[in-house]
Amino acid sequence: MTHDAFSKCHPSVNFVFFILAICFGAVFQHPAYIAAGIVSSGTYYVLLNGKKSIKSFLRLLLLFCFISFINPVFNTRGDTVLFKLFSRPYTLEALIYGASIASVFVITMLWFGCWNKVMTGEKITCLFGGVAPALSILLVTVFRMVPEMIRTAKRIVSARLSIGKGGAEKLSERARSGASALGALASLSLEGSVTTGDSMRARGYGTGKRTSFSVYGFRRRDGALMILVAALAAAVIAFAFRGATRAVFLPERYFAPLSGANAAGLAAYCILLLTPTVMHIREVISWNISKSAI
Amino acid sequence: MKKSWIATLAVFLVMIPLTIYLGSKIPGRSYYLTGTFIIVWLLIPFFMKFEGKRPQARELIMIAVMCALAVAGRVAIPVNHFKAAYAVIIISGIALGPETGFIVGAVTALVSNFFYGQGAYMPWQMMAYGAGGMAAGFAFAKGKLPKKPLPMALFSFLSVILLIGPILDVCNTFLGMPEVTASTLAASFASGFPVNAIQAATTAVLVFFLGRPLLDKLERAKLKYGVGEV
Repeated sequence: MTHDAFSKCHPSVNFVFFILAICFGAVFQHPAYIAAGIVSSGTYYVLLNGKKSIKSFLRLLLLFCFISFINPVFNTRGDTVLFKLFSRPYTLEALIYGASIASVFVITMLWFGCWNKVMTGEKITCLFGGVAPALSILLVTVFRMVPEMIRTAKRIVSARLSIGKGGAEKLSERARSGASALGALASLSLEGSVTTGDSMRARGYGTGKRTSFSVYGFRRRDGALMILVAALAAAVIAFAFRGATRAVFLPERYFAPLSGANAAGLAAYCILLLTPTVMHIREVISWNISKSAI
Repeated sequence: MKKSWIATLAVFLVMIPLTIYLGSKIPGRSYYLTGTFIIVWLLIPFFMKFEGKRPQARELIMIAVMCALAVAGRVAIPVNHFKAAYAVIIISGIALGPETGFIVGAVTALVSNFFYGQGAYMPWQMMAYGAGGMAAGFAFAKGKLPKKPLPMALFSFLSVILLIGPILDVCNTFLGMPEVTASTLAASFASGFPVNAIQAATTAVLVFFLGRPLLDKLERAKLKYGVGEV
């Protein structure tokens, strides 16, 4: 999906949103908040990744089970003993606690998955270009070099194959041949790098203060979105400190009730997390409407 | 130079204690968040040092080549479990010194996250890879360990299994374990050990074969074009 409305906003809005979503997602253990986190991050992940997300979901499900089942091995508190493992009790309460930790893990991974799609390299360098100019140009250079180097590496490997090298079955031979191919790649790139460096110097790199250019303008819409995100996040934090997200699993389960004011906290959290999804869907709908109008 | 020292002091005396204090006040599970923020604060002085040096074009591009080589290197070696990244980072550390080694490692981790995507481990990977490059730089500084295939291979085996791998295992503990105690840490180390051992062995093999040639190439580039600390 290339048409993601949220991705088109100013990188600072994207950045703030993801940092907040990941921080909240990594901390809240209240079941309602976990559900909100999984649903919103999962939906946005599917919108961004399409069919490919099924594979990631299966992998996350596997990790979810692993983390859930491992917790009771270390944590023997709780009354409902399911069975004994190495003469230690394996309790239902610890299993539920493990599931909550695993859910938090899944939410974090899903948000980072969305981050990878939205926060592309040029957005990061746009954000930090002013603060860390040397690092930014290093990143930009590496981003450009990697695809080129992958192509060169493939050329080297196939050239070596055509003269009968690198196709050996023995592992040690293949490793050795791989090392040679990597060495050839290094020679080629290092020699080329000096030319690039000289060419940069000839064009005046390092002669003055580095300026930065960004294609992203901070528009009124971005400002409004930033204020919305900040206000919702402030509300969530305020409610969290009032105990709306309180969740105790052991020794006795206690979850903060969702009635009254606490419902407002959860609502703020849901609205915050669903912002990118809503923006995406709204754009898709308006796009289809304008397409059908033609 | 001076700025990065102030930043280092600020990180250790203000930011880390403050993060731990605030982390303990957070309602909910704060291990991962606190740990990750501390890692991010720790990364800042290294990058400030790098900025403060105002690297010249040739040096910058040379560092970029090593990072790109570490990210793209796995294509050149179509063998399972052979990740070129650690080997290239360690060799960069040996050839270009601890500071540059750290930058190569950290940037490699950052960039490979964009290409291969892992996410939650990113700051930890940056720290782990960077530490690997830095340790290699210190261990093989002038007059210390000899820059010969066997010592370099042994060193890379040890640094993957004792330094880079365990840092990532600590991240696993913070992310997925019920609480951070000695026993859960030990469990993470134990479950990470097979993977770490395989990667340490493959890295050692690669460094054994690749180390000397790549070092020579870097030395030659440094000598011929006058880059870095000759």
